[in-house]
Amino acid sequence: MKIGRSMSVILMILLLASSALLLGASGRQEEGITSLEQLNQPGIQIGVASDSTEFDIVQKEFPKAEIVYTKDLMSSFISVAQGKIDAFVSNKLNMELAMKNGLEGVRILDGTIGEGNVGAVAISPVTEIPDLKNQINQFLRQIKKDGTLDEIRERWLVKHDMIMPEIPEAADPKLRLIVGTTGLSEPFNCYVDGELSGYDIELAKRFALWADMSLAFKIYDYEGIIAAAQGGDVDCIFANLYVTPERQEVIEFSDPTYEVEVAAMVQDTGSGAAANRQGSSQKATGAGFLNYLKESFLKTFIREDRWQLFVEGIVTTLLLTILSILLGTLIGFCVFLICRRGNRVANTITRFCIWLIEGMPVVVLLMILYYIVFAGAKIPGTAVSVIAFTLIFAAAVFSMLKAGVAAVGTGQMEAAYALGYADRKAFFKIILPQALPHVMPSYKSQIKSLIKATAVVGYVAVQDLTKMGDIVRSRTYDAFFPLIAVAVFYFLLAGFLIWIVNRIEIRAFARRRPGEGARKGSES
Amino acid sequence: MIELEHLEKRYKNAVPLADVNAVIHDGEVISIIGPSGTGKSTLIRCIDMLERPTGGKIILDGENICARGYDVTKARRKMGMVFQSFHLFGHLNVIENIMQAQVDILKRSKKEAYETGMKLLQRVGLASKENNYPDELSGGQQQRIAIARTLAMDPEVILFDEPTSALDPTMVGEVQSVIRDLARMDKTMLIVTHEMNFARAICSRVFYMDQGGIYEDGTPEQIFDHPQRDLTKRFVQNLRVLTLTIDGEYFDMAGAGTEIDCYCLQNDIPPRTKYRICLAVEELASHLLRPVLAHAPIRITVEYSGKDGNAEVLAFYGGDKFDPAHSGNGFSYQVLQSTVSSLSYRYDPDADQPNVVKVLI
Repeated sequence: MKIGRSMSVILMILLLASSALLLGASGRQEEGITSLEQLNQPGIQIGVASDSTEFDIVQKEFPKAEIVYTKDLMSSFISVAQGKIDAFVSNKLNMELAMKNGLEGVRILDGTIGEGNVGAVAISPVTEIPDLKNQINQFLRQIKKDGTLDEIRERWLVKHDMIMPEIPEAADPKLRLIVGTTGLSEPFNCYVDGELSGYDIELAKRFALWADMSLAFKIYDYEGIIAAAQGGDVDCIFANLYVTPERQEVIEFSDPTYEVEVAAMVQDTGSGAAANRQGSSQKATGAGFLNYLKESFLKTFIREDRWQLFVEGIVTTLLLTILSILLGTLIGFCVFLICRRGNRVANTITRFCIWLIEGMPVVVLLMILYYIVFAGAKIPGTAVSVIAFTLIFAAAVFSMLKAGVAAVGTGQMEAAYALGYADRKAFFKIILPQALPHVMPSYKSQIKSLIKATAVVGYVAVQDLTKMGDIVRSRTYDAFFPLIAVAVFYFLLAGFLIWIVNRIEIRAFARRRPGEGARKGSES
Repeated sequence: MIELEHLEKRYKNAVPLADVNAVIHDGEVISIIGPSGTGKSTLIRCIDMLERPTGGKIILDGENICARGYDVTKARRKMGMVFQSFHLFGHLNVIENIMQAQVDILKRSKKEAYETGMKLLQRVGLASKENNYPDELSGGQQQRIAIARTLAMDPEVILFDEPTSALDPTMVGEVQSVIRDLARMDKTMLIVTHEMNFARAICSRVFYMDQGGIYEDGTPEQIFDHPQRDLTKRFVQNLRVLTLTIDGEYFDMAGAGTEIDCYCLQNDIPPRTKYRICLAVEELASHLLRPVLAHAPIRITVEYSGKDGNAEVLAFYGGDKFDPAHSGNGFSYQVLQSTVSSLSYRYDPDADQPNVVKVLI
């Protein structure tokens, strides 16, 4: 009792101390940063997107500051607005556009950093389309000459109309062009009304028409997109990709498609800051908060029919999960049957495979399968994801069955043998029905883990629920609704699948009572 | 008919069956008794092929069931086995437990299987429990159902592996009475058991197992009343034996006393008997024999029968014929004689230590 009380006191103190520390940390930028020079000092954290080229620039211009990597543009902007990082250095255009679209609590510092970036089309070194680089360069030269490029530039980068012109498809395509892009970088490639749009997308469509090719897009994260081109999953990349010496070592670039200035974004602590800081004070007052919620909801789901993106994501996630569960259960069960009688070779191989599968993070396994094992094969990311999660689930099912069958005990098997059952029949009639109730609880929790684990398939160009949430976030610059919605959908999906499993379980394992079961057949 | 020929079962670190030979005729009811670890259970598990013998033959109706390629399920269908811990199928209720194998293996219709099952449940007195699950029943009830399940398969031979050992003493009776009832049928039965009286009451033949084989084989009267061999005798009379060797000038007599104390305590020997055993050993060894034999070793054996509470002290020693009655110490001899119920001496010239003094307490 005494010990318990003093423990809780110590815990309280620890909690208070840590929250004070956190408050202190978040409160350290009260005065704010007003000029680029201020960034170059120790203790300042400057974010750069992990997939971008700004690292070199920041290192050169602000050698004293600490550089941190952030995931994508949208997450970075929100990190700045919430004061999690002091500044974020990126393409000025993206920043301006985000602020125009309602990003609050941030400011762009005056002036540009370094010499700017050059964006270009990256061409896969193993593409089967002959002379692709020259064709693209030729096309770029032509649209520069006839003014089309200026028109495109005006449309997307200056006016931000965000309206994609109708571009016909090639009438009689001789070749198929597969273009990698991200859909995460407004206004270059992003989703408008559920359709891929933007500067890069328009360029790609016009090029396909010009070169008389049919066109397909594949969606990647910036982290994976160059690897995809290297592996030949795509022929080229139209994705706001900047030319750097490092990238040039592994992939070829076309002539520049555009040049862009680099600027720094910081938290806005000026006059309107109180109202702006992610609307925090606004949210605190009742009506303001409701307005914010309404606005955010509309932005997230209704505008441009974005709910369709969520539906697509849910379908993908559900399909992926259900296929992996079914195949994984089947494979896990079959492997268990093979290994059940202690065949040494089968057991050694199985143990090794399980060791391999369970030993690495899901996302690593997924990427190894996608970028290495199936690199040459033209298999879509969805199929690779199903394979990866099937393996993971099969490994889990195998281990569950092993534990479940062990829990039944050897006596049951002996009793069955003694009654004259042969091995296989004894297993299916006597052992398995008793093992399954032991297996079900972990089977269900494994299903839940699997649904959640599928959230990483964005790495291999699959647009699942999480990825769709990211895409919506990258357009709305608002983290609240997309994230909460995604979380809620995962809960619902898990609940739905568990409900199905429960229904099956009740039918299969309920104890029969008088009037049912045994008598039923015997009295007929 | 089951013939066992040089049956052997060897594990890495133990040899429960070294060489078992027997012929079991149809209709015999055989009890298998013997100390723990002498391969009784291993023997009947081998007969049902739940353990694969490492050598020898088991010939069932003229076929060697240990032969390579022989389908053991064929042999198992002629035999039934009742286990120490019942092994009822936990996912099935009582009547399903009895029906399942009939339907799966004998291909009986559900109706037929149900009727057979109910008949057998009546026979073991549990017809009212048909819809219960095994975990809702007592151990005794479970074992009776396990017996019914075995009977439902119409086996020619029934093997019982310590059917009452896992039961509460209050439930032993109900299971034994079911088995007793079966013994009146014409079925061949092999029963591994520790219950001597039960074995004696129902069986026509007894195997006493020890030293890796069937050590003594006979009718219940032969085995229980007139065992021929030492280990059998020791076992059926529940003899507890202590052997001491007293040698040399500096033998620790007090230490030997402690050893006897310990032995008496372990075997629950009453204090009166204990006192007499100690006295007998001390008088014999220290006062009557030691002065005459000088340093020659004396081997003392104490035997206590848990069955009738009798104790016996034997002293073996070498040298010339010497009856302690004729030692110079008449007083000690009288003390000894007055304490014990009989005192005798014999000389066995062929033995290592030809002089034997036998004291009954």
